[in-house]
Amino acid sequence: MAKKWGQFIRKWMTTNMELPQDVMMDLPRITMIGQIHIYIENHRGLIAFSDKELRLLLKQGQLLIKGQSFVIKTILPEEILLEGKIDQVTYISE
Amino acid sequence: MKNQWTEFFGGIITVETRGKGIERLINTLTRSGILIWNVKRHGSESITFKIKLNDVKKIRMAVRDSSCKVRFLRRTGMPFLFKRLLKNSGFIVGAFTFLLVIFILSNMVWGIEIKGADPETEHKIRKELDEMGVKKGKVQFFLENVEAIQRRLTDNIGAITWVGVELKGTTYHLQVVEKNEPEKPELLSPRNLVAKKKGIIVDMFVEEGQPKVSINDHVKPGQLLVSGEIGKEGQTEIVPAKGEIYAETWYITKVTQPLKSTFHVLNGNEKQKHFIGIGKWQIPIWGFGKNEYKEFEAETNTKHFRFLKWELPISYTNTTIREREQEVRIYSNDEAFEAAKISARNQIKNMLTENAKIKGEKVLHKSVDDGKVSISIHFQIIENIAEAKPLIQGETE
Repeated sequence: MAKKWGQFIRKWMTTNMELPQDVMMDLPRITMIGQIHIYIENHRGLIAFSDKELRLLLKQGQLLIKGQSFVIKTILPEEILLEGKIDQVTYISE
Repeated sequence: MKNQWTEFFGGIITVETRGKGIERLINTLTRSGILIWNVKRHGSESITFKIKLNDVKKIRMAVRDSSCKVRFLRRTGMPFLFKRLLKNSGFIVGAFTFLLVIFILSNMVWGIEIKGADPETEHKIRKELDEMGVKKGKVQFFLENVEAIQRRLTDNIGAITWVGVELKGTTYHLQVVEKNEPEKPELLSPRNLVAKKKGIIVDMFVEEGQPKVSINDHVKPGQLLVSGEIGKEGQTEIVPAKGEIYAETWYITKVTQPLKSTFHVLNGNEKQKHFIGIGKWQIPIWGFGKNEYKEFEAETNTKHFRFLKWELPISYTNTTIREREQEVRIYSNDEAFEAAKISARNQIKNMLTENAKIKGEKVLHKSVDDGKVSISIHFQIIENIAEAKPLIQGETE
């Protein structure tokens, strides 16, 4: 109950106070440059990586990126820059 | 996000990991602050990525806890490059030694060419040069400069009048003019000898021609001394007259000598400064401090280094600063008079040819005014007054 209450307050604050949502709600911020680059902030770790698929843990659920010839250009605890040919980005909720 | 090229300086390791749960390993690595980039999957069980050389030790702990095997594939970056450089240092040392050897060889004396001297004089010159240290295989840097060599050769070898020393690259070229050069037989056209000054003839030496004057004769300028026409009347032959006619001639010289004169003398205090010049810049390497002499003379000696045929913009300069003092010399009237006489004598000697003699001198006038002594001296000089005058065929006297 308390958790849900907290989330409600946050949502209310972001909508009414015009605060960036990724900061307030711990959501991933995904930046894509065409098909070739994808830059994800606020992830929670790597789950699976191959040259065709990248699976990231988020605070809520997972992010699945599919494509071809993937290379992780950089990986930091909360950021990742992926290069390759990105075909689809999918949210998987639990 | 920054590019990872700066990591090149610290060294980069390419790591290959095999096994299961590589993703988990990467997560733990990133969380412990290790920078990972260029993660690539090769097949189902192998991933390669790059890390910094500094992080290699940290990676061990994390790997031990995981079920993966780690292999270091490639080392790139400065530290490894440097290591390889050190391993192949022989090449670099060789290259530098090569340059150094060429540099030293380009600054050596490789030849001494002497032109215009007969074998005997040449031998003398070579001996003198040897004494000076100018020899094949000597380093030019330690030798005296060209002017000094020239001066010393001219001073020490009597047989040469003049020597031109030139340094072309690694070879000294010496152009010698000898004193007793074999005289070339002169091809003379028919001529008379006439007087060039007025005077009284004291001595005659006629090689060829008909003398027209005799000793104790008074001659005027332009007067015929030796005729080029010889033989009896009607059977004359025209020859080039040759000979020396010595006559007493007269000169008057006026000299003024100030009683008080100032001149500079060096008092022996000196200071050496050494510079290395690179291009226009002069970098002092020894002899610092300001020049505290009020009056001084500076002598600079610059030596250039050369490489093969080029002169390098690197030079060594040695400056000697000598302190100078002003000295005032005050003559008494008599002393000034003597000094004036000496300078008059020098003056007259400069005007005359080498084989002229001063027979006598007589002071005509002597006065002191305005702090100056002025004298005029009458000189009696014995000199050759013969002057050639070409004889043109058909001309009558």
